Amino acid sequence: MSTLDLRPPEVVMRLARLGAAQPSRLSFLRVLMRRAARERWRVRRACFELNDCGFGRAVYAVETPRRVYSLVAFSTPLEDEHRTDRVIARAWDSSYVLYDGLPDTDEVVRLNATAPLQEAGRFTQRDLVLARANKSVRLFQIVVDALARGEQPGEEQLANVGYFMRTTAVYGNGKFGIADRDEIASRPELAGPFQAEMLTVWLIRSFTFDLADHIASRRNPGGAARLAPRLRRILGVGNATGLGMAPFLVRHPVLIHNWFFARETALARVRALPRAAERERNAFARALDDMRSRVARWRSADPRQSAAIAALRADLEALTREAPAILNRQARPWDAVYRLAEERLSLEGQEACVSLLLEPHGAAIDDLAKTMNADESVGYSIGGRMTCAALSALIENRYAWARRIDFCDPAANARFWYVSAEKLEPRLGQRFEEDGSEREQPLATARDAVALSAALQAEPAETNVANFLLRRPEWRHVVRRAQIVAKFPYAEIYDNLIGADLRPVDLLRAKLAFFGALNFDPRSDRWLRIALFAGEPLIEEIGVDAALGEAA
Amino acid sequence: MIDLSLNEAETLAAKAARGAGFSWGLADEIGRAARVLAMQGEDWGEALLALVGAAQAFEAPSAERIALWRRGEQDLPGAQPLCPVRTAAFLLDVAAEFRPAPLRIANVGLPIWLSAILARSGQWIAELEEPLAAGGVTIRPIAVAALLLGANRAALAPKMLAALNAHAARTYVPESEPSRRRGAGGGSVDDD
Repeated sequence: MSTLDLRPPEVVMRLARLGAAQPSRLSFLRVLMRRAARERWRVRRACFELNDCGFGRAVYAVETPRRVYSLVAFSTPLEDEHRTDRVIARAWDSSYVLYDGLPDTDEVVRLNATAPLQEAGRFTQRDLVLARANKSVRLFQIVVDALARGEQPGEEQLANVGYFMRTTAVYGNGKFGIADRDEIASRPELAGPFQAEMLTVWLIRSFTFDLADHIASRRNPGGAARLAPRLRRILGVGNATGLGMAPFLVRHPVLIHNWFFARETALARVRALPRAAERERNAFARALDDMRSRVARWRSADPRQSAAIAALRADLEALTREAPAILNRQARPWDAVYRLAEERLSLEGQEACVSLLLEPHGAAIDDLAKTMNADESVGYSIGGRMTCAALSALIENRYAWARRIDFCDPAANARFWYVSAEKLEPRLGQRFEEDGSEREQPLATARDAVALSAALQAEPAETNVANFLLRRPEWRHVVRRAQIVAKFPYAEIYDNLIGADLRPVDLLRAKLAFFGALNFDPRSDRWLRIALFAGEPLIEEIGVDAALGEAA
Repeated sequence: MIDLSLNEAETLAAKAARGAGFSWGLADEIGRAARVLAMQGEDWGEALLALVGAAQAFEAPSAERIALWRRGEQDLPGAQPLCPVRTAAFLLDVAAEFRPAPLRIANVGLPIWLSAILARSGQWIAELEEPLAAGGVTIRPIAVAALLLGANRAALAPKMLAALNAHAARTYVPESEPSRRRGAGGGSVDDD
């Protein structure tokens, strides 16, 4: 297949563009849905023991071709004043463990004691993911009331909120004693990035529907309605994400490269296609329609996001007007659509266009999902034989953008990332107003690359990096990163992560878009709400129709 | 005993090492090495506590000693034990070129760390001489990368965990009123 050049990292990896990222068919929850449909996963409710108020426990068992996994869910009473989105809360409406296998009674009893404690509990290697979620109280109540009356809740109202519950943390990879990622990395069904976490959230989604049905039916046995499948399908699971997620993008450079490289490769493949067949043109039109109705409902109280959404609406109108004629042209029509976006649309519009262009082309690009994992050990080794002059030239080349930042300007240095002693969570401090910057976390990537470059100037050109690092071990992590970026160009975010104008939500959105999140709603410059799995197949549908995973 | 995941062991070790004054890059090496020790069934907690306690008492290999190693001449121990982490990191960095076989190094402090850091390269094997406290190590390149297999959990006594957490805590910043207010940005109470 002939390909065009990829969009360069200097374009792709800017914060403003990351902050406009959209989910695509390579997003992790879409990858999970395709596999689940293809392999006809079967999900059954192995246990559902809830009282009239909906408190108790449930187990959902997923049978995949090779293994069984179970979502063990606990629903517990929670005072309204304790219902907070903060990751540091101590009590939740519901807590969950994705369990490796089907838990016996003893294991459910064990989890009953620990899962509601979340971070304060200890877990075992049978526990793959730990999560919790709070009700969207107002909507949940409205829905239960309607169902108990034997009626369906209003579709518009459901679509506007988008979910019954919002997760405030979904933990994987060994946290609090749960299984290491290594334990599951060789299992095809969970090998892709965040597949275990996505599976957990998908199952939580169904638990929230069943919970509403259950409470309504207990309130009005015989007379209550069940939430209609068509309404279930438009709902997802909410998520509130704060700063805690941001350092991940910096700490996993090889993995991040693979995510972006896969997506950019997919875009380049689509742009290189010589023609647009009718089937793909129709699929594009459907995806564009879906996106327009989604964006019509997308609300944010954040003025900047609000303006971006307004611009996106206009952009999608423009695409709707102009894309059909372009796609009927003979030569590289998809490329022409992208170029139109690049020339005339906002960043939101451009990134939305990328997602739309990928949508009809599963046959050409879905194989790239397999490349989005990473063996991160490939980045561990430092090339110690490289000369200081060569390293200096490498930084000159790869970090030219960083050298244009004047770090003598206090605004360029205004923030510092740290870990809070109280909450053990990442935080962003004001360097010149708060104490603690001597304990700064190594996330000042641009500043440190520039400073390393200056340190290298003091070295004889032929000194090798190993000897330099033997004397100056404080540069080890910066050298490692520079050498990774030389090999993996999408590994770096090409912006200052400690500047006064940094909006951490831009980092969060990029990661969440790769998860498959919709309806980004920044609540400040440092946290946002999203929805996952809205519009995706339900657990009762997935094993029935292998084509379901294809639907957006 | 507390049953930690390997990832927890690695993270704790890296933080404790950083808290004890190792650079970020070396702290990363120590984290990965702690994982190796746990997989090998070693008492990684004890080893880590010893390492962070002695961090300031070690010296890095001097240019003169490295020159001896390169020439294959007998090593001349310095006044302080060699830092196992900085020595291993250097050997890793030059792995492709600097392969005297075998290389004997004298007076390496806590040589188990040199061995664990080299183990992840899959290119070197470090044989520790008895008594361990004397710090004699012989390093040989290996032709075929060795797979790291072993335990998949890292046990730790509660007391040891507390001691290591105290070192890790030196990487944390206490809250101030403004930072507490700003937090991670989450709202106070759900509003819908």
